[in-house]
Amino acid sequence: MNKYVLTLLVVSSLVACKKSTTSTASKVEPSTIVAAIATNVNQAIYADLAVEADSLHATVQLFVANPSVELLEKCRFYWKKARAAWEQSEGFLYGPVATDNIDPRIDSWPVDYQAIDVELAGNLDFTVDANIDALDDALKGFHPIEYLLWGVNGAVNVADFTPRQFEFLLALTKNLKILTGQLATQWETANNTAYIHSFTSPTTNNPFYPTYRSVFEEMVNALIGICDELAAGKIGEPLLLQDPSLEESRYSSNSMTDFKNNIISVQNVYLGKYAINGCGLEDFVRQYNLSLDNEIKTAIALCLARMNAITVPFGLALSTQTQQVSQIVAAVEDLEDILQLKLLPLIQTKITN
Amino acid sequence: MKQRTLLFSVFIGLVVMLIISSCRKHQQEAFVEDQDWLAGGGQTTFIQGNGAFGQPFQGMTPAQNWLHEIGDKGFEAIFVSAPAPKNSGLGPIFNAVSCAACHISDGRGKAPAAGEPLQSLLIRVSKAGEDATGGPMEMPLFGGQFQQKAVAGNVPEGDVSIIYAYQTGLFFDGDSFELRTPTISLINLYQNASDPFLMSPRIAPPVFGLGLLEAIPEWMLLANADPTDANNDGISGRANYVWDLLLHKTVLGRFGWKANTPNLMQQIAAAFNQDMGITNTLFPTESSWGQTQYDQLNDDVELADSILHAVAFYMRSLAVPARRNVKDPEVIRGQQLFNAIDCAKCHTPKQKTKVDVVFPAISNQKIFPYTDLLLHDMGAGLADNRADFLASGSEWRTPPLWGIGLTEVVNGHTNFLHDGRARSLLEAILWHGGEGETSKNKFKQLSKSDRQAVIKFLKSL
Repeated sequence: MNKYVLTLLVVSSLVACKKSTTSTASKVEPSTIVAAIATNVNQAIYADLAVEADSLHATVQLFVANPSVELLEKCRFYWKKARAAWEQSEGFLYGPVATDNIDPRIDSWPVDYQAIDVELAGNLDFTVDANIDALDDALKGFHPIEYLLWGVNGAVNVADFTPRQFEFLLALTKNLKILTGQLATQWETANNTAYIHSFTSPTTNNPFYPTYRSVFEEMVNALIGICDELAAGKIGEPLLLQDPSLEESRYSSNSMTDFKNNIISVQNVYLGKYAINGCGLEDFVRQYNLSLDNEIKTAIALCLARMNAITVPFGLALSTQTQQVSQIVAAVEDLEDILQLKLLPLIQTKITN
Repeated sequence: MKQRTLLFSVFIGLVVMLIISSCRKHQQEAFVEDQDWLAGGGQTTFIQGNGAFGQPFQGMTPAQNWLHEIGDKGFEAIFVSAPAPKNSGLGPIFNAVSCAACHISDGRGKAPAAGEPLQSLLIRVSKAGEDATGGPMEMPLFGGQFQQKAVAGNVPEGDVSIIYAYQTGLFFDGDSFELRTPTISLINLYQNASDPFLMSPRIAPPVFGLGLLEAIPEWMLLANADPTDANNDGISGRANYVWDLLLHKTVLGRFGWKANTPNLMQQIAAAFNQDMGITNTLFPTESSWGQTQYDQLNDDVELADSILHAVAFYMRSLAVPARRNVKDPEVIRGQQLFNAIDCAKCHTPKQKTKVDVVFPAISNQKIFPYTDLLLHDMGAGLADNRADFLASGSEWRTPPLWGIGLTEVVNGHTNFLHDGRARSLLEAILWHGGEGETSKNKFKQLSKSDRQAVIKFLKSL
């Protein structure tokens, strides 16, 4: 029944948002846009993240039972799939991912690999979930799994895995599966107590969001937040300090893909587009300012184009393509400025409740 | 000549009228200025979502903004066991791996449920007596803080067990409420303690607006103090005087749940050392020194001064969220009741910052933190029975209330007070005792709708 309602909702939001590229769009209610983004983007990506984390854990189970090069590659493949979904969720780091402190538990770095080595040499029972929960953030989540699957130089062989490493890998992927599952549940419409209902139904009694304006501000501030994190942190910091050890996904050389997925996350929210192309922030902007809409889209495209221009792994590009990496930072900062100085004020003046 | 005199008097008259009218205008502006929705004065942020506590000051120089960014990174940085190429030096014993692990989203920590491990709560420990600086006497083999975590291969000082007892009470109109009282025990100790533990649980407070609080002139805080209760209103308000490590003398205490720290720099340096086991210029000795966990590594100090200063600057330069719904009639009524039942006697709404020519962003701001930063006896119910410099075992510093209504959207919970025992603002009020007893009883006498109005006002902060 709920799925039926959801389908109706999605279909109706599709109908409401005819995507024309040339003319000022007709009025779309803020409530329609919020509902569409919440279901078509946030909910859909968290659902995919949970599915991919589940696939990763299932594949690791197969790998541990029957180690082979093919299965190791398959584990790495699913790590990257789950990673892509996670990075595409970083344009909306509000709600349970923040308040339930899930982000640091699944995406902390640097990896405390010395502590991991000590745990591997020790006798902590990895099969007890509570033991994994009690581990510090730098010992669990995406990056320790990455460390185990690739090794420091990305050159781990199947024969290198010890029984304790297998156990730890199983435990960490299970932990990731559980936490991403919790996230998905909080964005699941069928779950009556889920956070998504607070997000899509602002009222004065809503503890999180009194108004649609506050929901819009939350969305845009999160987009600004991830741009800032990219420009000042993920890319900017290793660039400024010329230090490849500050790179986030360095064991798998996946960082550039991570960065692109962050920008795609911004794009997804803006366009309201993931698996389904529904209402997005663009449908709000286009009602008032077509040139701003164009400006935002151009800025997003420029970020992606400049990221695509990097031809070597990010750690290497820091020294061999420094100029191009600086240009990425500049493009992301421009996007951040547009969102901060133009989109946010537009929301604050046009959405009054 | 006469005509000129006439003209002159007309001119003077016009000037006088102009002055009068401009004075009126000034009065009006002053009135507007005093409205307290701009909680942080010029450093108020209008973001009211998940990021509300993490916004930088406006109007800083590019260099200051950059320093703020570096401090932000340092605040979030996850420290790992030494030796390591990045963020080395965690532990050997510690409470948390990063600042942000407790101050999640720059916000307020949550009390652990019964049986849950500690996340953003720590336990100060000591034995009876005072040390040479007037502070609590460290417990031999445990120091001044209980570290329930250790790096891999090492042993923590023990575990912390929390259980809650529940009791109910009644408002004057017959409605009931429930409060929970935590009982904390230190268990599985790595060594037997030589003396009985004195314990003080402290939850991670929000970290925004601290630069503004630091900039309130000392004389202005002392002007609110009434140590002997000379005005006989049952409310004293005492300043704590604590040891300043850099000045090597006793000065006014401002930060911490018992105002036991003089300034932000010392607060942060102590947290790096005690909470994370990161040695730094102010605290160059490992928290585990003299204990079996001591790492014997010659790597101290572990934190670069530049990072320490950047994190201190980050905390100084976090803006305060604006109030919301200030024109809502129920909120206005709640505010009037808040004043009428004397909450505002300690939760002083308005303060003013000093003139600071070096850092104009915090200079000369009217702010609305709702605190006097002074110590008050809060009664036996909240007492930790552990003195901290001049703060007695039942005295606590009035915590600021600004931003308190955004706790749920930022941190996903509504746990308040020094150990997070209150599960709502209502419970937090009902825990007030000692100097707050009379106000609490007045609150309990209010009608349900009036109580709700007070809560609604608090949520607008």
